[in-house]
Amino acid sequence: MGACIQVNNAQYAYPGGRQALKGVDFTITKGEFLFVCGANGSGKSTIGYLLNGLIPHFFGGSFKGSVIVFGSDTRKMSISKLFPHVGLVLQNADAQLFNSSVEDELAFGLESLGLAPKHIEDRIVETAKMLDIEHLLKRPPDKLSGGEKRIAGIASILCIKPSVLILDEPYANLDQQGISKVSRSLKKIHASGLTIVLIEQRVDGYLKDASRCIVVEQGKIIFDGKPGNAQKILVSQGLIPKYPKRTPKNDFPTRTLYRNSEILLSVNQLYCDLNGKNILKNISFDIFKGQSVALLGKNGSGKTTLIKHLNGLYQPKQGKINFNGQCLIGKDPSQIAAMVGISFQNPNDQFFQNRVEDELNTGLRMVRKDYQGWLEQICHLFQLQGLLRSSPFKLSEGEKKRVAIASILAMKPQLLILDEPTAGQDGRSKQMLAKILEKLSQEGLTTIVATHDLEFAQAVANRWIILDQGKIVKDGPPVSIG
Amino acid sequence: MKPIDPRTKLLLGAAIIAGVLAAKSPVSLFSQLTLILSAIFLLKKAKPFFHVLKMVVPMIFFVFIISWLSFDSYNALMLSIRLFNLLISSFLIFQYIPPEELAGGLRKMKIPFGFVFLLTTAVRFVPLMQNKIRCIREAQMSRGIDLRLKVKNTKNFMALLGPLLVQSFILADELAVAMEVRGYGCKNRSFRKDYRLAFLDYAVMIVSVAILTIFIHWETGL
Repeated sequence: MGACIQVNNAQYAYPGGRQALKGVDFTITKGEFLFVCGANGSGKSTIGYLLNGLIPHFFGGSFKGSVIVFGSDTRKMSISKLFPHVGLVLQNADAQLFNSSVEDELAFGLESLGLAPKHIEDRIVETAKMLDIEHLLKRPPDKLSGGEKRIAGIASILCIKPSVLILDEPYANLDQQGISKVSRSLKKIHASGLTIVLIEQRVDGYLKDASRCIVVEQGKIIFDGKPGNAQKILVSQGLIPKYPKRTPKNDFPTRTLYRNSEILLSVNQLYCDLNGKNILKNISFDIFKGQSVALLGKNGSGKTTLIKHLNGLYQPKQGKINFNGQCLIGKDPSQIAAMVGISFQNPNDQFFQNRVEDELNTGLRMVRKDYQGWLEQICHLFQLQGLLRSSPFKLSEGEKKRVAIASILAMKPQLLILDEPTAGQDGRSKQMLAKILEKLSQEGLTTIVATHDLEFAQAVANRWIILDQGKIVKDGPPVSIG
Repeated sequence: MKPIDPRTKLLLGAAIIAGVLAAKSPVSLFSQLTLILSAIFLLKKAKPFFHVLKMVVPMIFFVFIISWLSFDSYNALMLSIRLFNLLISSFLIFQYIPPEELAGGLRKMKIPFGFVFLLTTAVRFVPLMQNKIRCIREAQMSRGIDLRLKVKNTKNFMALLGPLLVQSFILADELAVAMEVRGYGCKNRSFRKDYRLAFLDYAVMIVSVAILTIFIHWETGL
């Protein structure tokens, strides 16, 4: 097999000075399925930008070493010469899809190549058939599910017929169903003879699809070999999280163990309609003080809609919600925030202050509380002491998530709800979050974690409520996964 | 039959808007209102129309109050009806010009590709930005920040604006990368759809310009 791409002692620093790669050497051979993994900020996405000439042509910065693509140095080729050979699918599917329909999306790259209209139509049909997305061609990108968006993004590059396809975190924010859909498509593409470079931090179960694995850490390659041999280093580097074992107090509590007076939250026959659709149907459950609950279900099952009812963001069509015996229906979220704290999936939605410490203080000011020493405790628990004067926007993904949760916990709510806390987080960060939640649970805080990460749910909850199509289909102790 | 060319649709739309702006007498304004509303219901666009109405009505109400205070009730009513006609006729026109057709039409009218691309991309990102605003609003309200429309909450809206600006810049950067990796800068760009004017297009253009000319003459005496 001949070499497609050769990377020789590549060193790169972004404009502003951040050194992302510190001497990287590897060769990609034709037909390979290469899995590049590493923690957040390790430099794995930078490798993707290196292979198709975005570095140095687009990002600027300081680049040393060389990247040879099919015998030509990327320094001497413009991106418009490289993109027909090396295709890159970006992590953010919303940015990747910038046309008004999926077929226009596929046509854009082909129009850039200057193909005749007839050839463009043929390529669109051929690619759509290969990825089974013929039914999506007329749909606008904002009407696609997460998994469909990813596949449309892949199709928009694949129809250009590059020899090498690079995918930057294609599994990010997808549920199991979405991941399986994308994974199946990738296997199909690889079987057609294309070279694939898959850049991911989620290694759970998908490493086996690859023929070779590279582990990147702080801008250097620390492993390059068969995926089967990578397990040990992935565990030692924290890319496969090692969750703490739950303590015996976490046996599944039932009404026989808890008295009614210990009910913190009671949801009774809740119904919700959104845009003419029944999103929640007859939801009833009680949460007892000190319980750690995981709310599970695939994307669109109603998890987020349900938790938005618990702090007044949404009002139900029918049903009752009581918190500590007090009815929450009709109350504004600002009146409930001090009792029920919710941290949503994207930490960037929360930040608007210049410094981390101001973010932490914001919630406290809003609920007009002053808990002596509480902020110090939170900073210690979330390991934020060294970050207090930093800008929240400049933190790593893991640090951002910790600041976002800490700023909610600063209001000292009796119930803490986390929506998809593991989305975009690497193994180390997930491990740390699990430890924090375990500590909070031991201190008696009631928590609800809405997630589709079953391993995380098993690590942080002793009760699972499973939603499917807006209904509770299971409520009990964690079921065995595997 | 070949569908109408986007350029014809754009000219037809421009003629309708010019007609609405030229209307002065109450008879013309009310006739136009009846015609546009009938067209909306006959063309089965009632559902999206009611959705748009939710945004249009407060705006019209606001204009009515301001013009009533500035002029008198008659002028305020005429001004509000003209604005209403303008907004709902624009709504109806754009129901029949999807973004890709608009882009194709403008391109054929020799508008630079960069500008046309900017316009269609902006349309594509409207629902995405709406969703972002909703997510940020909900995240901030969950922190106890009161974002209800009250004077005392004015300062709190920084919590909405800050993350929105930061995320818009991030999205713009990522969009630039996405465009680049699909050859946005290529010199020899071709286009999947080629638009050609046919007999029907010329007929529609001539008739619409003729009707507009007669209407303006009748309305203003010019």
